[in-house]
Amino acid sequence: MISNHLPVYILILLLISAVTTPAIKPSSKKFRPKLVGTLTIASLLALTMFIVVWTNGPFYYNFGNWDSVIGIEFFVDEYTSLFVLAVLLISLLIIIFSLEDILHDIPKEKTPHYYTLMLLMVFSMLGMIMTNDLFNLYVFMEILSLTSCGVISIKRNKANIMASFKYLMLGTIGSVSILLGIAMLYMVTGHLNMGATSQTISSVWQMYPRNILISLSFILTGLGLKAAIFPLHVWLPDAHSAAPTPSSAILSGIVIKIYAFSMIKILFRVIGIDIIKAISINEYLTYFAVISIVMGSVFAIGQKDIKRLLAYSSVSQIGYVFLGIGIATEMGLVAGMYHIIAHAMMKSTLFLSAGAVIYRTGIRKVNEFDGLGYELPLTLGAFSIAALGMIGIPGVNGFMSKWYLGLAAFEIGKPIFIIFILISSFLNAVYFLPIVISAFLKESNRREQIMIRDDIPFTMKAPLVVLGAACIVTGLFPNIIVNVIQRALPTFMTFVF
Amino acid sequence: MANLDMILDNINYIGAFTLFIIGLYTVLTHSNLLKRVIGVNIMETAVFLFFVSIGYIKGASAPILDQITGESFYVNPLPSAMILTGIVVAVSITAYGLSLLINLYKEYGTLELDEIISKEEKAND
Amino acid sequence: MDDLIVKTITKLVVPFIQLYGIFVILHGHLSPGGGFAGGAIIGASLILFTLAFGVNHTNKVVPPSVTEKIETGGIIWYALLGFVGIAVGTSFLSNKIAGFPLGNYGSVISGGLISLATIGIGLKVASTMITLFHRIIEED
Repeated sequence: MISNHLPVYILILLLISAVTTPAIKPSSKKFRPKLVGTLTIASLLALTMFIVVWTNGPFYYNFGNWDSVIGIEFFVDEYTSLFVLAVLLISLLIIIFSLEDILHDIPKEKTPHYYTLMLLMVFSMLGMIMTNDLFNLYVFMEILSLTSCGVISIKRNKANIMASFKYLMLGTIGSVSILLGIAMLYMVTGHLNMGATSQTISSVWQMYPRNILISLSFILTGLGLKAAIFPLHVWLPDAHSAAPTPSSAILSGIVIKIYAFSMIKILFRVIGIDIIKAISINEYLTYFAVISIVMGSVFAIGQKDIKRLLAYSSVSQIGYVFLGIGIATEMGLVAGMYHIIAHAMMKSTLFLSAGAVIYRTGIRKVNEFDGLGYELPLTLGAFSIAALGMIGIPGVNGFMSKWYLGLAAFEIGKPIFIIFILISSFLNAVYFLPIVISAFLKESNRREQIMIRDDIPFTMKAPLVVLGAACIVTGLFPNIIVNVIQRALPTFMTFVF
Repeated sequence: MANLDMILDNINYIGAFTLFIIGLYTVLTHSNLLKRVIGVNIMETAVFLFFVSIGYIKGASAPILDQITGESFYVNPLPSAMILTGIVVAVSITAYGLSLLINLYKEYGTLELDEIISKEEKAND
Repeated sequence: MDDLIVKTITKLVVPFIQLYGIFVILHGHLSPGGGFAGGAIIGASLILFTLAFGVNHTNKVVPPSVTEKIETGGIIWYALLGFVGIAVGTSFLSNKIAGFPLGNYGSVISGGLISLATIGIGLKVASTMITLFHRIIEED
């Protein structure tokens, strides 16, 4: 009985906890345990939901007991529940990190507002992952867009407010395009539910091909604007580099992936793979993905600020996910969806360790990283593991996603993509390896060559260790995730309502 | 080719797309930041107009069930409900954008993008 | 503003505006309006009061702590209404199956869950509008 309503329990727990947070004073003893406790309970509920779906199969959840066609429903399959669990665990680690780190960016009286915004962000992300209704997707997307602008501008700095304003304007253009696309789909099919739409889409395609083409272009442009594909990525470097460290970790690690996952849902469940291959939209996605992969790395090479470098690297990595979507075979989807979870772990590790360096020493420029490995060995160790994963060294999960992408590209007979993946690995090495080498091997005239223990609080050390270990574990045993994806694939390739 | 009847029948849709393009042009090119917020509002109004004109049927009555006659030929009420949510979202985005603009004005003293960029470059030198 | 005419007219008109707002909220299932529109009307009446009498006087009449508690209470009220459906055995936010009283057709006490939920939404929207206006108008 309790297992039927698990999606609702997770969402309402996060919502009520977000709303009652401003009532507690930040200096009282109950503030931190309440935050961490809420997310821990939510993670345990998500783990229960994953076990239930793994043993019983996917299930639908109708709100208010209305029929699927007229009501809102959630569709939870194996990959959805795994993604929910991954989002909750990574957010838990980032919020544990931020308990000490946020105090040097914003004054202490504002921390309840900051945590309200973060909890609302996690709430809307989980809603977007689980939903099966197009307009419900739009509502959760607006909550996510507003709160993610809020966590950037909570620090009252000139650069922050300008970056947040730019993100708000461009994000709203994206949302309005997506709403226009959903309206045009509703105009022709008359349904808002993803399952009901996918049933009628093949007959509609015969009658109104141009309408579906225009609506698909609006939706893809809007989602590409919010997920930062190459020509539309101009808001990302300012927003992610000026924000406080936990905000940029959660924005760059998880938020932009949610839009890529929504694109997978709309392209493969609503439109269906026959129409996609008929208009050959997946070929154009691969062209944009390849340009994004190469140009993101090229821009990252010339950056001097560590956070801007990591932000440009996000542009390049989201290109991998779109390359996997664009290949549109089973292996391509496996590669794309594996890279979503793998990159979330790696990018959070990178941003959190950069934040720990800034917290302890105030250094933001890349060429001043000499000798830091001896002062902060744990932090830079986690940074090095994640950096090796981004380059593609075997043993870390970044290598496995490039391997699957290469296999997928070879399957459809276009080995040129493998060459582009190798070029981008080389470019990643050009800007990540100097940091790692200069941190551990160069001498610096400011500090001794003796390795001392990290002088950062425990709440900041623990998430780094856990995330670094998770990168290695999922790299050595990728089947933990790949098995889940392969069981969930039939619901994407042929969606049976 | 496009005779006058077809344009007059679909004037709602043509108007919605024209407003969308006008709003998009305003957001992307104007140098005053306040006009960009207005441009976003114009774009959202265009989408709402498009939504409402989907549900409209010529010669149908309002979607309120009359007990005496029990009419069954009414305008689709679903797009109107969706627009209500959309209007609330638009108001929230406008309120948040305007409060950001107030803070920017206190910092720089101007709302023109060219002057803000030139002030930043002078401060960086 | 210190105008005597504005203050007198505001004192006379604000109760009627609020009465109209409550009417729109409660008749959400019978005529156009509902939670958002009614809440915006009540919020607009409080904004008019602020413009006529100044922020300090309004903070004494409707203190910020009360509006914060109304905001939180609105969402918790909505979630509790949804949980009634789970407690009975059907899904979240169920209306007729969960046993909400559906009275006569066309009267105010019909529609079960809908009128109760719109009261929560209306109060929350009104308190949000007054909070936003006070934040924007305050000189930091």
